[in-house]
Amino acid sequence: MSLRIERRLTQPRWLSVAVPLGSLVVAFVLIAVVLLATGHNPVTTYRDMFEAAFTAPGALTQTLIGATPLLFTGLAAAAAFRMNLFNIGGEGQLYFGAIGSSAAGLLLVGQSTTVLIAAMIAAGMAAGAAWALIPGFLRAYLSTNEIITSLMLNYVAGLILTYLIFDSHSYWRDTTSASAAVFPVGKALPDAANWPTLGSGVVVPFGLIVGVAAAALLWVLYSRTRFGFEVQVMSDSPRAARYSGMRTRRKILAVMALSGALAGLGGASQVGDFLHTLDADPKGLRAYGYGYTGIVVAALARYNPFAVVLVAVLLGGLQNAGSALQGPDFPSGLVGVMSGMILFTTLGGELLIRYRVRLQRRQREAVAPASEGGR
Amino acid sequence: MEPTAESQAVAPARTGASPAIACRGITKRFPGVVANDAVDFEAAEGEVHALLGENGAGKSTLSNIFTGLYRADEGELEVHGRPVSFVSPRDGIAAGIGMVHQHFRLVEPFTVAENVMLGDQSDVGRSFRLHPRAIEDRVAELGERYGMAVDPRARIWQLSVGEQQRVEILKALYREARILILDEPTAVLTPQEAAALFQTLRAMAADGRTVIFISHKLHEVKAVSDRVTVLRDGRSVATVDTAASTLRSLAELMVGRELQTYNRREGRREVGELRFEVDGITAAGDRGVSAVHDVSLRVHAGEILGIAGVAGNGQRELAEAVTGLRPLQFGAIRVGGVTVHPGDPRSAIQAGIAHVPEDRLHTGVAPSLSISSNVVLKSYRSDENSAGPFLRFHRIRDWAVELIRRYDVKAPGPGASARQLSGGNLQKVVLAREFSGTPKVLVIAAPTRGLDVGAIETVHEHLRDAAASGVAILLISEDLDELMTLSDRIAVMYEGRIVGEVDAATAAVAEIGLMMAGGGGS
Amino acid sequence: MNNSILVVVIASGVAYGTPLLFAALGELLAERSGVLNLGVEGMMLSGAVMGFWAVQRIGGPGGTVLLVAVLVAALAGAAVSLLFAFIVITLRANQIVSGLALTIFAGAAGLSSYLGNDLGLADAPAKHQFAPVDLFDLGDAPIVGPILFEQTWLVYASWALVALTAVYLSRTRPGLNVRAVGESPQTADAVGISVTAYRYAHVLAGGALAGVGGACFSLALTPQWVDGITGGAGWIAIALVIFAFWRPELCLVGAYFFGAFQALPFTLQARGVTLAPELFQALPYVMTVVVLVVVSSGIAKRRLGAPGALGVPFVREER
Repeated sequence: MSLRIERRLTQPRWLSVAVPLGSLVVAFVLIAVVLLATGHNPVTTYRDMFEAAFTAPGALTQTLIGATPLLFTGLAAAAAFRMNLFNIGGEGQLYFGAIGSSAAGLLLVGQSTTVLIAAMIAAGMAAGAAWALIPGFLRAYLSTNEIITSLMLNYVAGLILTYLIFDSHSYWRDTTSASAAVFPVGKALPDAANWPTLGSGVVVPFGLIVGVAAAALLWVLYSRTRFGFEVQVMSDSPRAARYSGMRTRRKILAVMALSGALAGLGGASQVGDFLHTLDADPKGLRAYGYGYTGIVVAALARYNPFAVVLVAVLLGGLQNAGSALQGPDFPSGLVGVMSGMILFTTLGGELLIRYRVRLQRRQREAVAPASEGGR
Repeated sequence: MEPTAESQAVAPARTGASPAIACRGITKRFPGVVANDAVDFEAAEGEVHALLGENGAGKSTLSNIFTGLYRADEGELEVHGRPVSFVSPRDGIAAGIGMVHQHFRLVEPFTVAENVMLGDQSDVGRSFRLHPRAIEDRVAELGERYGMAVDPRARIWQLSVGEQQRVEILKALYREARILILDEPTAVLTPQEAAALFQTLRAMAADGRTVIFISHKLHEVKAVSDRVTVLRDGRSVATVDTAASTLRSLAELMVGRELQTYNRREGRREVGELRFEVDGITAAGDRGVSAVHDVSLRVHAGEILGIAGVAGNGQRELAEAVTGLRPLQFGAIRVGGVTVHPGDPRSAIQAGIAHVPEDRLHTGVAPSLSISSNVVLKSYRSDENSAGPFLRFHRIRDWAVELIRRYDVKAPGPGASARQLSGGNLQKVVLAREFSGTPKVLVIAAPTRGLDVGAIETVHEHLRDAAASGVAILLISEDLDELMTLSDRIAVMYEGRIVGEVDAATAAVAEIGLMMAGGGGS
Repeated sequence: MNNSILVVVIASGVAYGTPLLFAALGELLAERSGVLNLGVEGMMLSGAVMGFWAVQRIGGPGGTVLLVAVLVAALAGAAVSLLFAFIVITLRANQIVSGLALTIFAGAAGLSSYLGNDLGLADAPAKHQFAPVDLFDLGDAPIVGPILFEQTWLVYASWALVALTAVYLSRTRPGLNVRAVGESPQTADAVGISVTAYRYAHVLAGGALAGVGGACFSLALTPQWVDGITGGAGWIAIALVIFAFWRPELCLVGAYFFGAFQALPFTLQARGVTLAPELFQALPYVMTVVVLVVVSSGIAKRRLGAPGALGVPFVREER
């Protein structure tokens, strides 16, 4: 018996919704099995998580706080992966965004909040884009695969971040305050550089709103503009793109820069919304792996910007529940297991969307190949 | 078109030679076409037997049946006098039949010896440990014996194409193939390499092996074979003694159109000023060797210049070179006297060169995108189709609907993906797009390959209309019928060069066929 | 002299580099079959946690327990990689994203953490651990003593593994076949080699070795269980394979090189040398990028490059 795989000619709409949902269900079932096998009650676990993520007092706020960085890194990954550019460097590009935006915030002390926020956003995006252009350039002009290069640069970025605070007397480092004498820490940004929040019951960070706006803009860019059209053609058929005169190398640079800018924006949001300093603590900004989780978000959202918003909130809720419920009874690591399993089932489900699968007796009769030169 | 009674003659093998491989009544059908139609064939031991025919004549299908890749629907096969029934290529190999394909099955980073070892998955080769020294010695020995020495330790990517082909032959010989089939082996060789190959083949035949040599090139068939079997439209037309044949007689058998009348155009077409100039261009092929040598062409406004030739003689590379998809090593391209920047598709498009490529689905369109998207693939930046950075979707969609109507494309709607369309409808979409840009020049390759009769007629109509409205057309096709019907003049391409140019209305088909097979011109 | 910076750094480099070496050899096997597995970190952590569990829970003489623990670690790594293999080989999913999914699923804050927590493994030192042995009593030999003769059995096992892998790939028929599968699966398929079977086998082997690499942490280097104990070594192992041009011998060199650069800053600091450690720590990553650029350029590609079909799912219908 073997699997016979045929490419589908048409992809029915309902399949694009049914399969991801179905994958989600399968994932939850499999995890329930794991929970049961290790002596936990899946029903109460799921219920507790849902409460801790969404319904408990203050839960939604925490969830949104966790969702904000994932939204940016998710958009960053979606923007690049849509064009088959596997930018794994979101993590490092986020760090650079933090570096750039904190520099802007520190430099422009004395300016109004509006000016500061605008500057931080711009600087964060620019720094993230610049860092992403390195693997982008290597890919476009030197044919070097961007996966490993962008991955390696994550480490370099982390080391640069550490260097700036721990092992140098850089502009970012706080050399005066009392606590700085005990442990290296970054300069605090002026109060005017604190990004505002909205709402009182549920507190929405400004960054999240910027993120939603970015999602909308990305959607418009990719589905309504010439730029987006070129991305579509290039991802579907690089040969057709060349044939129709599109400038493929420049497009690679542009998309990588865009992706890096979005991740950098996430770094700016971390500084402006939550940290108010450049945080190089290994248990701080660098511990969460926002960049990598963002890729999971993008994959689950099938690279659709609006879906990214939704999935970011979901995963943010998951993370929130995980840390809120941490304790002897609650299995730590469940967050990773769930995220990973959901992604596995979604990826597996992809096959059903793109291909028609049939089980078949192994064929002894050779089938005529679709294209043989001459007969 | 029935073969006449006289052309059924079959020349016998040299006296005393027993048949190595023989088949009777072999028929193989694929959806929509009969690839082999009751073919009888027989090749003797110690013989080099050529299988001659145009593209689509059924040569590859027949050889695939011999090796076990395909199973015949009807007919019998015998190897060394014993009836056989192959179920998979392994059976063919076990029976001593080896094949050298046009597209090599080699692993580039491996050495010659490693490739030979890889190909040997039989029980003999089952040993866990590799013994490269023994393999290398055997490979060297075989190479010496048949005059095709190759360093067994060389890596494939280091070898020339001719040497790589030798590796393929050595693979078969290593597995003790007594019957060797080579599919268009000289397509990728220089004349010197081809000559060396022929010596090798003759040496193998002298050794008692059987060589079946598939080709469309008359010179070579005449040079190397003992007998020739000619296939045409899936049928075996004749088996003749090579020594007793001339190039002309072989060409006539292969093309066989003396008796056919053509729907030739009446009178000359009105032809305008010189529009498209290809001036002494040379371009490299995919493997680095030149594929287009010093080609010059001139096409006037409203004229159709056909490029005839069997596939693989540089036509694809020519089309790519003149449309900017392939860089030029020498020469220039001019439209209306203005030089077009080479190697840049956008420059060619902006100069007014439209291109309907050979590979419609993978180059001419983005297969997963909609008809609407594909229709503006080159024109999406224009003022009609975009407003600033944004695309005007409604306008584009309306335009697609209009083109679907105008070109009678059968599709569920403008939103249907290009992949869903049948060959004919896909071609209509590509034509619609290319013509809608009011081009000055149209380069079109294999315009009706795989299309049904109705679609063919439609495409021809559109081409005639385009010429009538003043477009200079470069028509590249393997279908001589088509070229004769549509072209004003026909240039013949052979091994990357133009070997002759004739007036379509008055040329003799046999003469063109001869040039196509390398037998005419210089 | 055996206390000089150079000797200490190299000796520590060997110790630190050993988990990298195991994981890199495993990843090398997987990549040679054409599968890019980014989930090494997750597989290492799975091995680390389960190996530690075995040491804590299984009774018996120290040597036997440690051996069993290593096997358990290998099994754990392989089990986790099976999930990945099914998704990318049978279901033809995107290998990049699937590898990341594996890292998240099994890594820190994933399954390994889950198991570590549920099995109560934290806050207790290992009951048995691999300690350096004094081989042939040459531990005090000048210079080479600490480097070559005072390492743990894991280190010596890794050397044997390098030799085995090198011989396997270059001198055996299965090794030839797997290389063909990784370079040109269509060609391998055409001669009757099962691409699927070879890929499954080598991805699982990769998982097993990554698991052993993880065990190096929890059973030798830092003999305890802490969430995320491997600290990113899995990612370094991936880089290491490229750095080593997909050759086992060079993996050895590269692993110790990376290991030394990890150890260097601490050694320097202990000696009072104040040079920004980040500079050294960044060097291996930057060099990997340089190597990758060189390997991808047209000229070098054929001599030194990645397996031709790396990262591409094999679908026969689309030939």
